[in-house]
Amino acid sequence: MRWFGDKAALLGLGLAAALWAAPDPRAAAEADAGLALAREGKYQQAISRYRTALELNPTLPGLPLNLGLAYFKLNRFADAAAQFEKAAKADPASFQARVLLGMSYYGSRRFADAALALQRASEQQPGNTELRFKLAQSYLWSKQYEAAKREFQVLLTQNPDSAPVHMLLGEVLDAANQQEQATAEFEAAAKAAPGEPEVHFGLGYLYWKQKRYDEALREFEAELAGQPQHTQALTYAADAEIQAGSEKGAEDRLRRALQMDPNIRLAHLDLGILLAAKSRSTEAAVHFREAIRIDPSKPDAHYRLGRLWHSMGREAEANAEFAKVKTLAQPERPDPLINVPGRGAGPPQ
Amino acid sequence: MKGALRAIGAASLLLVVWLAAGQNPPAPLHFVYRPIDFRLESSETPERHAPETMAGGLALFDYNNDGNLDIFFTNGADIRTLQKSSSKYSNRLFENDGKGNFTDVTQKAGLAGVGFDNGVAVGDYDNDGYKDLFVGGVHGSRLYHNNGDGTFTDVTAKAGLNRPDSQYGPLWSVGGAWVDVNNDGLLDLFVVNYLAWDPDTEPVCEAGPGRRDYCHPKFYKPTPNQLFLNTGDGTFRDVSAESGIRSHPGKGMGVGIADYDLDGLMDIFVSNDKMYNSLFHNKGGGKFEEVAFEADVALTENGQFISGMGVDFRDLDNDSYPDIALVALDNELFPIFRNLGKGGFADVTVGSGMARLSAPMAGYSPTIADFDNDGWKDLFVTRGHVQSLEYASRVSVEQPNSVFRNLSGMKFQALTAEAGLTAQPPRRHRGSAVGDLNHDGRLDAVVSAISAPAEVWINDNPGGNHWIEFVLEGAKSNRDGIGARIKVVAGGAAQYNHVSFAAGYASSSAGPVHFGLGQSNTADVEIRWPSGTVQQLKNVAAGRVIRIKETE
Repeated sequence: MRWFGDKAALLGLGLAAALWAAPDPRAAAEADAGLALAREGKYQQAISRYRTALELNPTLPGLPLNLGLAYFKLNRFADAAAQFEKAAKADPASFQARVLLGMSYYGSRRFADAALALQRASEQQPGNTELRFKLAQSYLWSKQYEAAKREFQVLLTQNPDSAPVHMLLGEVLDAANQQEQATAEFEAAAKAAPGEPEVHFGLGYLYWKQKRYDEALREFEAELAGQPQHTQALTYAADAEIQAGSEKGAEDRLRRALQMDPNIRLAHLDLGILLAAKSRSTEAAVHFREAIRIDPSKPDAHYRLGRLWHSMGREAEANAEFAKVKTLAQPERPDPLINVPGRGAGPPQ
Repeated sequence: MKGALRAIGAASLLLVVWLAAGQNPPAPLHFVYRPIDFRLESSETPERHAPETMAGGLALFDYNNDGNLDIFFTNGADIRTLQKSSSKYSNRLFENDGKGNFTDVTQKAGLAGVGFDNGVAVGDYDNDGYKDLFVGGVHGSRLYHNNGDGTFTDVTAKAGLNRPDSQYGPLWSVGGAWVDVNNDGLLDLFVVNYLAWDPDTEPVCEAGPGRRDYCHPKFYKPTPNQLFLNTGDGTFRDVSAESGIRSHPGKGMGVGIADYDLDGLMDIFVSNDKMYNSLFHNKGGGKFEEVAFEADVALTENGQFISGMGVDFRDLDNDSYPDIALVALDNELFPIFRNLGKGGFADVTVGSGMARLSAPMAGYSPTIADFDNDGWKDLFVTRGHVQSLEYASRVSVEQPNSVFRNLSGMKFQALTAEAGLTAQPPRRHRGSAVGDLNHDGRLDAVVSAISAPAEVWINDNPGGNHWIEFVLEGAKSNRDGIGARIKVVAGGAAQYNHVSFAAGYASSSAGPVHFGLGQSNTADVEIRWPSGTVQQLKNVAAGRVIRIKETE
C-alpha cells in the first residue's frame, strides 16, 4: 500500500548558497549565471551553465550541490544523486548535502541508500521531524520494518494525532504482517483525521485482508463519500460485498470503476463472477477475458473462465483455460541467489 | 446492562435454535497438555535445506493389539548424509498402557529407522491382523512388516518398494495412504511425493542479507505420486503409469481417501504446495481419472495457488458425502470443499466462517473428528509456518494449535486459548494424529513440532455427551476395513464416516472410527464394506468400542 507522494518540499530546501572561490573567472561567471537562472526556476538552462562551469573548473566548490539541486528540481533524481554524492564526499559534514543525497536516492527509489544518507543527516539534527518522517518512509520502502517502526513511533510521541504517521506506521505493521496492530494504527488515523484522503480506504483494505468484509465495506463507503471517483475504493467495496454474500451494489460499483479505469483487473474479475452467477455467461466471459488481458500470469481468471466454459458444456475451451492454469504452476528457473518470496497470499497486486 | 441482557437473549435464542433443529448444544471443548519424551530433530542447518522444515509425520495405532493406541513418531536425519547418524534422529515407538502412559519400545520393535523420514501410513497390508507401517522419507522409504510379537521387519526390498524412479531418481515421499483401489481385499499403497529436491542444485534463498531461509516451492520441479498394487504375496507392483496417477505430477503434501461419489470405489485427493490439487477419481479396473478442475477442487474459489498442506476427506455436514478440509499458510485460508453429491464440490470457506477464522493462521495438519461428541465432526489443526525462525519478523512462524468446532455442519468456531491449546508455547507444529488414548470416550491428539518436544493433548471436555467407536475386521474386504462406510443414526439424526487412516499432514490416525452421539445413549448402525456387504446393527448401546467382523 503506497498512497503518499514524495514530499520533498516538506524539508523546505532552498538553493545552496554560492561559495565560489574559483581561480578561473569564467567558471565562476558561468556558475553565477546558472544560479541566477535556477532562482528564476529555469533549471534546464541553469544546468547547461553549471555544466559549462564544470568543464572549465571541475573542482569548483559548491558547484555539485547547485547542479544536483537543479537536477533534483527537474525530478532527475539519479543525476542529482551523482552530484550530491560528490558534494557529500567533498564536505562530509554537510547536512544539506546528506539530506539532498538522501532525497535524491529516495526519488530514484533507492530506498536503502536513502535511509543510510538520511539517517546520517538525522543524527546531525535529531529534532528535525520532517527529516525523520522521510527517513522512516525510506526504512519502510526498503523493508527495514523494525527501523521504520521505531522512527514512526518516535514521531508519534512528538505528535500523537498525526494521521499520516499513524497511516505509515500502519503500513509498516501491515508489511510486517502484524495486521491487528496495523489496523489499530489506521483506526487511530481515521479517528484523528476522518477526512484524510485514503485513510478509510487503507483501513478498509486492512479489514478486507482480514476477511472482515462488513467493516471493510463500511470504510470503503466512507472513502467514497469523500472521493466518489476513487476507483480502487469502488472496486474493493464491490469485492467486499461479493465476499460477504451481499451483492446489492456491487455490479453498479464495478461498472462505475471500469468506466473510469478499464484496466482494473479485480473489477473485471468480480464483474465476471457476478455475471456468471446471474447466468449472463457471455458477458461474464468478456470480463474474465479482460482480466486475463490485463494480467495473463494470474491463474484466477483462467480458472474462472474455465469453470464458466465447463458449466456451459464447452469442454474444449474449459480444458484450454485449465491447461493455462497448469502452465502457470510450472516451476521457475532457480537463480543462484533469490530473495525469499513471501509464502502466503500477501496483498493483492 | 442492556447490552448484557441482549447477549443473554441471543444465547438463549441460539440454544432454542439448536434444540429446535434436533441437535445437541455444544459442550466445552478443552485439552490438557501431557509431555512425551520425543523431540523432532530435522537437522536444521544455516543452509536451510527444504526437508528440514517438512519433517514430523506420526501415527496413532495399536501395534500389539492390546486395545491401546500407541504412538509412532518419524524423525529426521543428518541432512548432509540423509542417515540417522545419531540416536537423536531415531524414529520412536511408544507403547500405551491404556491410561495415557507411554513406554519407549523402539529398539525392541526395530523401528529406529535409517534415513531422513518424513511421514507414515498405517495399514495391515497382509491381512494378518497386525498393522504394518509404510514410512515415507527423503530419497528413501521403508515398509515395516508387523511380526505380531512386538517386532517389525524391514521388508522394503522384498516388497519391491526400494526402486528409485527411472525418470525422477530418488523421490521425497512425505507419506502415503493404504487403500484398496480395486476392492480385491488387499490394501494397495498410494505414496505422496513432494518436490524434486537435490542438495547439489538446491537454490539459495534469503530472508535478509546473509540470512538464508527455505525456498518457495515454485523453484522446484514437481514429482509424480505413486500407486503400488498389492499382489497378495508380500510384493507390490508399481501401477503408477497404467493407473493414470503418474501423468499428474505435483508437489504433494497431503492425501485423503474417500469414495466421494459413493460408487463403491475409493478415490484419492492430494493437496499440493503452491500448485493445483489433484482429485483422482477411481474409474474401476485399476484406472484413475484426474478430475480436480472438473470437480472444482483444483483451486480455491478465488483461483489462487495456495500452499496446500495436509488434508482430511470426511463428511463434515452429515449428508453422507465426504467433504474436503485442507490447510495452508497465512492469508491463504483453510479451504473447505463441500461435496455437492453430484461429483462436484463447492468452496464454502467463506460461508462456513473458516475464511475469517483461518486468515491469520498457518496450518500443517488438519484432522476431522468429533472432539466434543455432539454429533458434528470438528477440525483439529496443527499450526506453524514453513519458514524458519529467521522469518519471524515478517510472519508468525511459531503458532499454537487450534481446534475448529463444527457448530452445525458447515459453520465453524475457532478455539485456541479457550481450548487450552496455549498451555504450551507456540511452535512450528507439523504432523498430528487423533484417537482416544485413555479410553474415556473423548478423542485426544498427538502433535509434533520442528526442533521441539512433541505434545500430547488429552481431551478433558466436561460435557456428558455419549459416544461409540467401531473397530472393523474385514473378511472379503481388507482386514482393516479401510473404505468401509459407517452410518450411525442416533437421536433421529444420521451421521457418516468411513475407515481411513490417512489424515492430516504425513500422519495416520489408525484408531477405531469414533462417533459422538450427543445425548443419545443408543444408535442404529449400518456398515457398507468395500466388498459390497452391508451389515446393520440396531439399538447399539453407547459408550463402548464395538468390534465388527464382516459377514462372509
